[in-house]
Amino acid sequence: MTIDVIARPARARPVTLRRISNRSGLNTAAGHLLMVLLSIFCLFPVYWMLVSSFRPANTLFETSLWPTQPSLDNYTRAVDAIPIARMLINTLVFSAVSTVFQLLTGILAAFAFARWKFPFDKLVYTGVALTWLVPFQVVMIPNYLLIAQMGLLDSVLALILPNIAAALAIMLLAQAMRGFPKEVIEAARMDGASNWRVLWEVLVPNLRGTIASLAILIFISTWNEYFWPLLLSRTAENSVIQIGIQMFMTAEGNQWGPLMAASTLASLPVLVIYVVLQRQVVQSFMKSGIR
Amino acid sequence: MLRTSILACLLALSTAVPALAQTMAPSIEQPVTITFYNYNLAAAGLGAEATQKLINEFMAANPNVTVTGVPYGSADGSRIQADLAAGLPVDVVQTVFSDLDFSVTNFGAQALEDIVPAGEIATHLQGMHPNGTKLGVLNGKTYGLAYTFSTPVLFYNADLFRAAGLDPDNPPKTWADVKSAALAVEEKTDAEGFTAGITGPSAVDWLFQGVVRSNNGEVISRDRKTLKFAEPEAIEAVAMLRDLYDAGVYENYDFAGAVDGMASGNLAMYLQTSALQGSLVAGANGNYELRSSTMPRFADKPTRPNNSGSALTIHTTDPLKQRAAWELMKFLTSEHGYTIITSEIGYLPLRPAIVTDPKYLAGWIADHPLVAPNLEQLDRLEPWDPMPGANYRQIVKTMMDAVEMSIFGGADVATTLADAQANAQALMP
Repeated sequence: MTIDVIARPARARPVTLRRISNRSGLNTAAGHLLMVLLSIFCLFPVYWMLVSSFRPANTLFETSLWPTQPSLDNYTRAVDAIPIARMLINTLVFSAVSTVFQLLTGILAAFAFARWKFPFDKLVYTGVALTWLVPFQVVMIPNYLLIAQMGLLDSVLALILPNIAAALAIMLLAQAMRGFPKEVIEAARMDGASNWRVLWEVLVPNLRGTIASLAILIFISTWNEYFWPLLLSRTAENSVIQIGIQMFMTAEGNQWGPLMAASTLASLPVLVIYVVLQRQVVQSFMKSGIR
Repeated sequence: MLRTSILACLLALSTAVPALAQTMAPSIEQPVTITFYNYNLAAAGLGAEATQKLINEFMAANPNVTVTGVPYGSADGSRIQADLAAGLPVDVVQTVFSDLDFSVTNFGAQALEDIVPAGEIATHLQGMHPNGTKLGVLNGKTYGLAYTFSTPVLFYNADLFRAAGLDPDNPPKTWADVKSAALAVEEKTDAEGFTAGITGPSAVDWLFQGVVRSNNGEVISRDRKTLKFAEPEAIEAVAMLRDLYDAGVYENYDFAGAVDGMASGNLAMYLQTSALQGSLVAGANGNYELRSSTMPRFADKPTRPNNSGSALTIHTTDPLKQRAAWELMKFLTSEHGYTIITSEIGYLPLRPAIVTDPKYLAGWIADHPLVAPNLEQLDRLEPWDPMPGANYRQIVKTMMDAVEMSIFGGADVATTLADAQANAQALMP
């Protein structure tokens, strides 16, 4: 009886485990199948952009998975029509410098909010947070007038200036710094570290994951910026790649071939960043949500 | 005596006012820079290249004048507004005809009669089609010279016509013909029958105005004070389009979908601006035979097509810049200018003589027969009336939303248009 009791589960166990194992295997397979389907769904537009960039104008609308007459004509036309290399460099400078400055101003401001209590600190923080709710289109024209008065129209510097500080960076970093153990900061202070050293030698190295995630978010969002460059840039040479792509959409019809070629070239840097920093990109979106 | 004195004073005033108003410098004796706001420059490709080519040629011929091309989006003109607010010089603008009223009242577009000596205007307009010179006239004055403009053309796929048992040499001439041809295509092929660029976000109201006029209606009164798009003629025109949709032959495509459908050979007929010719030819090349015909008419009523496109307007008040702007305007609307505009961008030449002149367009026209219906319609061309006042875009949107709901949304045509007209009339100045 006792044996049976012991034996029953012993006999039953492998069966249950096998069933569980089989069910788990099926679940895993179904999960993988779903992921594969979702991946195809997500990647297909990118693939279609790539293959369309190799299709000549008169075969652009064919539905074969690979061009029947592959050609580099669209790339030639795109490069001839707009200064793609210059636009990509402008976009890179715009995105990289904006990212560095937003991180810098964000770290300093967040440190102030997280570290000290000062009169009206909550009010100021709320003010910063509220600026996040104001769409850029609302302040676009005042910014434009200011840039025009400064004589900086049609320059990459003018693109960068309104982007050197951002509420998102301040709020995200302030939140991260508030969650940092106070004991560690106190220990550093007892060792004689100044606030400057506490920030750069204690806080920043320990928050590098958050900072890296934020940097990726800022970079991608600036890379995709459209309205501000559209208003500000007066020449293709001083504009960014998103404007260059839009230039192929005209009142006389859209030039899909060169547009796809330019889009392919424009997406390469972001694609490279994504491949290299895949884990951080995913984490950044999980931590802060999609802007 | 008193009456004589008053008459004498009025006569003196009538001769003095134009003399005072004509502030333009007589010539350009010193270097001057003018800005040219141009929406073709905001696009990549032939339009931008041809525009820059014309600007460069003008500067080479006028070494004292530097023309700075400023690209802007014609969809909203926000750059012009922003630049005017910033105090930047806005000297010459390629103005979309529907924006002409707003451009005059808000962007300071100058009437040519007020700044250019009458003799110079008369000399320059010689050789232009009289219908074309009326396009930029507002409140009795010429604010713009037609620059890049075209008329509605019925593009059709001759191969699909043959497959449907239709004769491609006899394209549809009336809306009833369009319906029967589209039905035949739908029945006998896998292709779609017909679509038009009448509605949609980028359509504005240019093609709709021509359709309503062709049924002897108007969307706005001649004095541009009363909206008339809910009058019986307009209702009948919209009801006809609704009937095409209900019959399953009028496809509700947006601009890109319609162009792509036609270019890919999946659409038999497409009524749209002739400016699309280049895009459609690129798609058709080697795939099917693309042809064009004139805009369809209502039964035996002659069509009254209006133009799409843009005019050149002068905005500067500086006498020297005005002279430079006028010289640029003359160059761009010269025989040579229209030759480039027609052959390299795809618009209509306003000077009919150059069409048969071997020095200009004769050779090109022979190689591009698709432009023939466009030229034919020049003789019946009427202006694209701009809606008045600061709410002009909202008026157009209210009207076109109602048209779209009437054709594709199942709404009652007469009621929907009447409601929209009442709402839009309240937005009129």
